[in-house]
Amino acid sequence: MKWMSFAPEIVNFSAALWFLALSLATCPDARRDRLSSLLLATLGAAVSLTSVNCEGGLFGAVYQVDLFSQVFKVMLSLGLLFVVGLCGELNDIRDRNRHDFYVLLFVSTLAMMLLVSANHFIVLYVSLELSSYSLYVLVALRKDRDFGIEAGIKYFVSGIFASGIMLFGLALLCGTAQIVYLNELMRVSPDIANQPAVAIGVLLVLGGFFFKLAVFPFHYWAPDVYQGAMNQVAAYIATASKVAAIAVLVRLVASFGQAGSYLVHVLAAMSIVSMTVGNLAAIVQKDLKRLLAYSTIAHAGYVLIGILSMNPAGYAGAVFYALALLVMKSAAFLVVIMVAFDGRNVSIQQLAGLHKRSPILALTLMVSLFSLAGIPPTIGFTGKFLVFVAAMERGYFALVLFAMINVVISLYYYLLAIKAAYFLEPAEEPLPLPVSRPIRLLAGALIGVMVAAGFYPSLFIQLANAAVQSLM
Amino acid sequence: MQIQYAGFPYLTTILLACAAGLLLIVFIPEERRKLIRWVSAIFSGYTLVLSAYLFFAYDKSLGGLQFAEKVLWVPSLGIHYFNAADGFNLPNLLLTGIVFFTGVLTMWELETRAKEFFALYFLLVMGVFGLFMSMDLFFIFVWYDVSLFPMYLLIVIWGTTRKEYGAMKLTLYLLAGSALILPAVIYLFVKSGLNTFDIVALMQPGTFTEYQQKFAFLPLYLGFGILAGVWPFHTWSPVGHVAAPHGVSMVHAGVLMKIGAFGVLRVAIFLCPKGWEYWADLMALLAAVGIIYGALVGLRQTDLKYVIGYSSVSHMGVVGLGLATVTVEGLDGAVFQMFAHGVMTALLFSSVGYIYDRTHSKLISELGGLSKIMPVASSYFIVAALASMGVPGLANFWGELMVFIAAIKVYPVRGVVAVLALVITALFMLRVVQRTFYGPGNERYAQLPDISFSLGIPRMILLFVLVLLGFCPSLLLNVIQTASIPFMNGLPR
Repeated sequence: MKWMSFAPEIVNFSAALWFLALSLATCPDARRDRLSSLLLATLGAAVSLTSVNCEGGLFGAVYQVDLFSQVFKVMLSLGLLFVVGLCGELNDIRDRNRHDFYVLLFVSTLAMMLLVSANHFIVLYVSLELSSYSLYVLVALRKDRDFGIEAGIKYFVSGIFASGIMLFGLALLCGTAQIVYLNELMRVSPDIANQPAVAIGVLLVLGGFFFKLAVFPFHYWAPDVYQGAMNQVAAYIATASKVAAIAVLVRLVASFGQAGSYLVHVLAAMSIVSMTVGNLAAIVQKDLKRLLAYSTIAHAGYVLIGILSMNPAGYAGAVFYALALLVMKSAAFLVVIMVAFDGRNVSIQQLAGLHKRSPILALTLMVSLFSLAGIPPTIGFTGKFLVFVAAMERGYFALVLFAMINVVISLYYYLLAIKAAYFLEPAEEPLPLPVSRPIRLLAGALIGVMVAAGFYPSLFIQLANAAVQSLM
Repeated sequence: MQIQYAGFPYLTTILLACAAGLLLIVFIPEERRKLIRWVSAIFSGYTLVLSAYLFFAYDKSLGGLQFAEKVLWVPSLGIHYFNAADGFNLPNLLLTGIVFFTGVLTMWELETRAKEFFALYFLLVMGVFGLFMSMDLFFIFVWYDVSLFPMYLLIVIWGTTRKEYGAMKLTLYLLAGSALILPAVIYLFVKSGLNTFDIVALMQPGTFTEYQQKFAFLPLYLGFGILAGVWPFHTWSPVGHVAAPHGVSMVHAGVLMKIGAFGVLRVAIFLCPKGWEYWADLMALLAAVGIIYGALVGLRQTDLKYVIGYSSVSHMGVVGLGLATVTVEGLDGAVFQMFAHGVMTALLFSSVGYIYDRTHSKLISELGGLSKIMPVASSYFIVAALASMGVPGLANFWGELMVFIAAIKVYPVRGVVAVLALVITALFMLRVVQRTFYGPGNERYAQLPDISFSLGIPRMILLFVLVLLGFCPSLLLNVIQTASIPFMNGLPR
């Protein structure tokens, strides 16, 4: 039965192998690739769902399977399924690279699954690297050389810098605390938390994941990478990779626990600056993907509020927020991908007349942007509400007020995009935008989830609470 | 507080009627405008009938909360879906029904993107209804933002003067209000230690310390106050009224601003009575300044809708002054004035709507002598203007009278100054009436038709309500007093 708890990873690994084998075949067959990728991603999601109740340690306890990790694996495989589902034409990469694309996509998901279950410093590091390296290449795969390569190199250089820092932190932590297992951290942290080397080590380790989550001051890669990467890859980075980063941050901070109260100050400062920088910079953006990148930076700040509260409510809030981000960003990127069916980038101006060209896409955009802004009754509001309640329980009134002020700032640029979609008239006669029935259904389902989880969030809140319980 | 649970969920039915209307409109094809109009009229009329039924079916001898419905919504956070009606929200529910129905009729001739308009309009009103009937802090906040959600598009697509600026300003101001409200709401939730958002549970004396009440009252007052047009946070309101299409202006000035005042009452005053007493002085000061400032600025306006916008600031100041007195009469007057002002402003915007649709002008200098060209349409505006001046025989008189009597007792100087401001209001309203409807006419408009009977229906309803309450204020007052007297008696002294 032990293998069942490892099944999601096995499915993704086999999928990667399958595409690796296909890449050896001489005749490219787009239809076969598409079907098999969809099938495998669906299988992955189904298997993740069935293995959600598994728990226990694997491989000599270096690998921790619990409800927390399994919930995140479900989110990751749903994110992958979403991206694969939108890979219809894939005319933004060369034909001969198509298999590589799928290999890397599945490997990256596999690595993120390993990451959320990692219980050993080395596993943590190796799986982080595996997922990052896949993403570097995915970003650089874009056919439009100037964009893709530039973004890929930027991502790579800053990424290896961050992982170098993290490795150093791991070494410090390992050396001073004499531990290699994450779950031992909780036991030893009260004794060692105030040693300078441990403090530095923890911060550096967290830094590696702040980079992935795009928290200030590790955020500068995000806009360029989102803009440079092909739309599907940007969607993947904005959803799955953020979810994984939140999972690891929650696990790390929860195991280090309240011993390091100085962490709160650092995290609060980063959270405030992240929100402010992200929201202010987003105001002047012309490119929709750049705008979404800056909004991601702001959202990283909101997630940190939940994490820095360091109470079960806060961690549960962060888990819920990860789910919210997954759904909202998926919906927003669905619009980006569909509007730019030929794979170009979309500027906000080009959204003009969207309500006539495709009402369903315009509606999806509006609901997702209101949700990102945190207007009830949407899932984005519930996420913010949960982390705010957690922060208030610790008495951080000013932090909540500051976050709400940021919500007001952020609404400004979201409204500009909504205005473009609903009010501005395009310069030339707009062509209707054909949207296939499955995509319509997907968009409708995303809208449904965003609104339903905003109005009746009880089930998801219970799930998040239960997941965090398994962590404690 | 006594709670009578409902045998039949009337309040939820009102919300469901809005939701059903919204869904139906969404699925009717764009071209069938007539059908969309009729669906809108029927469903909005239904909400009016229901709210009127509740208003009259409310058992005044029993008082307390009636028609209550309560379901545990999110157990882990103690969020309840809890609706109930009492003397404070019944007038507002009725007002919403009236303005909603007449607003739909006022927008009867809308041609551009009618489907989207009515869909968003239903969403807006659903939020308003929800807020008025909810007795749960969380849901009050959610409904507040639901009513804010469609506002931006309603103004930016169908609006007129400086609509992009007005829409953005309005939305950001109102969201800034919610940015103050949410932290305070969560603060109260956490500090109570009861793990519930239920207002009835939270308002029990002794739940919050005096310091907590004083601390939370201010952000709640300011946050809801932004929506109520409290000076100096009123600047969004004239700009927004002017930019919005007429039906939306009606909901906006007629009902949305009342949400703000009602929020101050239901959330800030109910939960933090000590804070209320502590900050009453500030409230009275801001209200008095608002009354005078609105009247003076209104004097200099050239656009008809700006005149109404600034008069709203002034009249909402009267509501604020009533709340600031911390007396039964003040509360009565404030709620009465909320209702009366809502109907009166709706009538003003509705009449301007007809005039603008025909002349395509709202500038006072371009109009003139309209009473000769369209006597009936003009008379609606003139009666509403008289109501706005506080002429006896119309509803507003009573609201203002009660507030001023209470205010002069508690705050002699501010009360007297506010009464004097009424003279200015009369002055600018008369000036507008004289220049727009009398004097030399504009040749261009000489051929325009007067308002037809069917288009006049919404204005007649509003007019009827104004006159009815002008002669029988007790109809409304008796209901309000079932809530205000027990509430003031229940305050710990």
